[in-house]
Amino acid sequence: MAGVLECEDLTMGFGGIPVLKGVTLTLEHGTVTALAGENGAGKSTLMKIASGQYRADSGTVRVDGTELRAGSTAEAHRSGVAIVPQELASIPDLTVYENLFVGKEVRRFGLLRRSEMIRQARQALNVFDVDIPVTARMASLPVGLQQIVEIVKASRTGAKVLLLDEPSSAISEREVEGLYGVVNRLREQGVAMVYTTHKMEEIRALADRVVVLRDGNLVLDEPIGKASDTDIVTAMIGRELGTLFPDRGTPGTEPVLSVSGLHVVGASAPVDLTVHAGEILGLAGLVGAGRTELIEALFGVRHSTAGTVAIRGRDVPRARPIEAIRSGMALVPEDRKGSGAVLGMSVLDNATLPQLRQFSVSGWLRGRSRSTKIEKAMKSVRLRSRNLGQSVGTLSGGNQQKVVLARWLTGDVKVLLLDEPTRGVDVGARSEIYRIITDLAASGVAVVMASSDMPEILGLAHRALVMRAGAVVGELGTDDLQRDDVQARIFSLAAGLPDPGHAAARGSAAPASAAHDAPAPVRPAPVRPAPDRSAPATAGAATSRPSEDDQ
Amino acid sequence: MTNTTQVATADDAAADVTPSPVTGEPVRRFSRAWWGALALRNAMFIVVVLVICYFSYRSLRFSSLDNLTTILIAAAPFALIALGQTIVILTGGIDLSVGSVIAMSAMSAALVAKNNPGQVWMTVLTALVVGLAAGAINGFFVSVVNVPPFIATLGMLTAGSGVAYAIGGGAPINGLPAEFGNIANKTIGGLQIPVIVMIIGIIALAVVMRRTAYGMRVYAVGGNRAAAEIAGVNARRILFSVYAISGVLAGLSGVMLASRVISGPPNLGQGYELDAIAAVVIGGASLMGGRGSVWGTALGLILIQTLNNGLDILLVPSYFQDVIKGVLIVFAVAVDVWTSRRRQ
Repeated sequence: MAGVLECEDLTMGFGGIPVLKGVTLTLEHGTVTALAGENGAGKSTLMKIASGQYRADSGTVRVDGTELRAGSTAEAHRSGVAIVPQELASIPDLTVYENLFVGKEVRRFGLLRRSEMIRQARQALNVFDVDIPVTARMASLPVGLQQIVEIVKASRTGAKVLLLDEPSSAISEREVEGLYGVVNRLREQGVAMVYTTHKMEEIRALADRVVVLRDGNLVLDEPIGKASDTDIVTAMIGRELGTLFPDRGTPGTEPVLSVSGLHVVGASAPVDLTVHAGEILGLAGLVGAGRTELIEALFGVRHSTAGTVAIRGRDVPRARPIEAIRSGMALVPEDRKGSGAVLGMSVLDNATLPQLRQFSVSGWLRGRSRSTKIEKAMKSVRLRSRNLGQSVGTLSGGNQQKVVLARWLTGDVKVLLLDEPTRGVDVGARSEIYRIITDLAASGVAVVMASSDMPEILGLAHRALVMRAGAVVGELGTDDLQRDDVQARIFSLAAGLPDPGHAAARGSAAPASAAHDAPAPVRPAPVRPAPDRSAPATAGAATSRPSEDDQ
Repeated sequence: MTNTTQVATADDAAADVTPSPVTGEPVRRFSRAWWGALALRNAMFIVVVLVICYFSYRSLRFSSLDNLTTILIAAAPFALIALGQTIVILTGGIDLSVGSVIAMSAMSAALVAKNNPGQVWMTVLTALVVGLAAGAINGFFVSVVNVPPFIATLGMLTAGSGVAYAIGGGAPINGLPAEFGNIANKTIGGLQIPVIVMIIGIIALAVVMRRTAYGMRVYAVGGNRAAAEIAGVNARRILFSVYAISGVLAGLSGVMLASRVISGPPNLGQGYELDAIAAVVIGGASLMGGRGSVWGTALGLILIQTLNNGLDILLVPSYFQDVIKGVLIVFAVAVDVWTSRRRQ
């Protein structure tokens, strides 16, 4: 088979810093190539060169043998290369069909033919077995469906090469099903795809071949069957993964956070929970299970109608974030850019913000003590910034999250609430964030951590609660979390399946694939893995949590 | 937050055909909630109707045909710049310069009219070219140099005012030929030319925005520029074009204003940009771009002009009129924010 997209010896640098150092990559029709690598490895740059957004310093990109003129998105489009960027490229106030057709509108005598566009949009979406109302505003769809619309948009006009930049980073497990269905269907149609991801399960479930970039070099290029998880991860981070999760300390017995009968608005049942000093409590569940809502209600930014929240026996008034902070509660929200950090402000100011009382005397900031303390905190999390004056927006995702976490190190925090603490954070920074979390726990802080990342719950939490529809539907102790069938159990609980034992029987060898079957798709979005991939998927899933090796 | 897994309902799907309920829940047609949603959606229209009813009740003169003509004639120059402002705001930008563009084009037109009596078309053409040039300069700095629209057009506002005075040597241009007044004062089929131009302008732009690919691309660039570019839309060209169009419309507005007074005062159009922006915002457009409509702007315009006229008739002092208008602007946007939050 001839390559449909051939990148040859691409190099590129930004401001003198090389980002790609001679990458050669050939894609073939009807294949999915997983492109893995830490943040900053050059994945996005490579994708942007291939799709004509960037001009490489040297090297060529050929589509079907014809060289692509660099720096022209329009020409890349014409020759059949389309990209679905990581940040959703939808236009929220336009409808689904308008989003599909913008730039390629159907016209007659210069006027739009809306009914024709609606018809064609329905047709295009039907091919992928997804039920999306085409006249709905894009913003009214869940992110997963928006993502599918984006992929359909990119592929609709006969794309031969489709570049998917972390398509699953913002969507729930259930929505991932639909995404897999769309990718598999496109593969059947002969489209060559590149799929960027951090997640091993996705590489196993979808890819025919895996390519790893590290520091701008292509360090691994193997058919999926020939590369083990350890190979891939080692190639990505350049060292063994054994150190990803630090040792969990032993939690104390003294209850710090006690919640009883907390009725969060929209939840199906009230929540009771207790977290002890030094304990990390994981909250697992599908997206939409109410984990974020629970955490927000604990902190008081979301309304609850009944129940009590107490810290060390002292009641915290509900729905009053200020009281929560005064009582020693800290929140690291899911949406880092939206509500975690003020991107335009410096590291120093961001770190000061939640502790203004500590760092000011009658309204005046205490310059020296504030910078000394914060400098110490930032050093302890190994923040990579030029200095404390650097604005947070210019830091990498991992370092932004370190700032958001480390600013609680300077104060007297008794309860730390974490919502998806490592979303969009690369593997290297991830392990440091895990270390900060365990260090905080070791110092006696009670930690509540909501996470969609299963290994994170298994590797970090002392205890996990599984949530569904706002209610706690299961609890797993430390021993449960070490068992082989734990992933299957969590998914069964989270999806509301009656028989976890059944899933476990199948799942002990293949927890990841069981997990994919478990949450019944809401709409027909069948997964059609090509037969030759089911074998490696099973084998891979069994080793998809190398982190457990060092537990 | 991000955990909204709720799938759009069938009512959302019908959003652009029938009014969809505010809460997003299925609502039976003609039920109370349905009427409530309809009223909320068309809140500004209802306000306009109520205001007109009030003035008609208070004053017989308000509802006379003569007064309607007065309102329409007064509205025309504002309408043109508000239309331009609408498409600029739809891209997420703003055009502060329209007041000065009016002055520049009016002064240029007056100058040409004075030196070439009898050639009315030439004066109109001059005004349009001056407007286009000013708009193109704005568009160039915004789309090519990437100067923020606020700054680029603020510069044009200041510099343009200076240019307008310079054209007249620091003084108004007077003693213009009588036929110059024809542009604004002549009637065709009982309607003044500016009124006809306004009506054609509103309809034409509404069709362009709703029915052509260009309109859709303007919305797309304002809603998410990066996305539009990836979809193959030339965002720079779109941005350039909206400022150019806004400039041309301001030029047209300028020549009509000058023609009405048959002279070229260099301070013509001063402060008009704010009334135009007010009309667009009252009409429900988002200053962040991507949301708004020509119909909304027309409503905003009708409301402002009706208020101006009605309050004058009721002999409300002008400083009180300003207070009322100011409150109205904030109130309109507050209602809009509130209803769109309810919708989510």
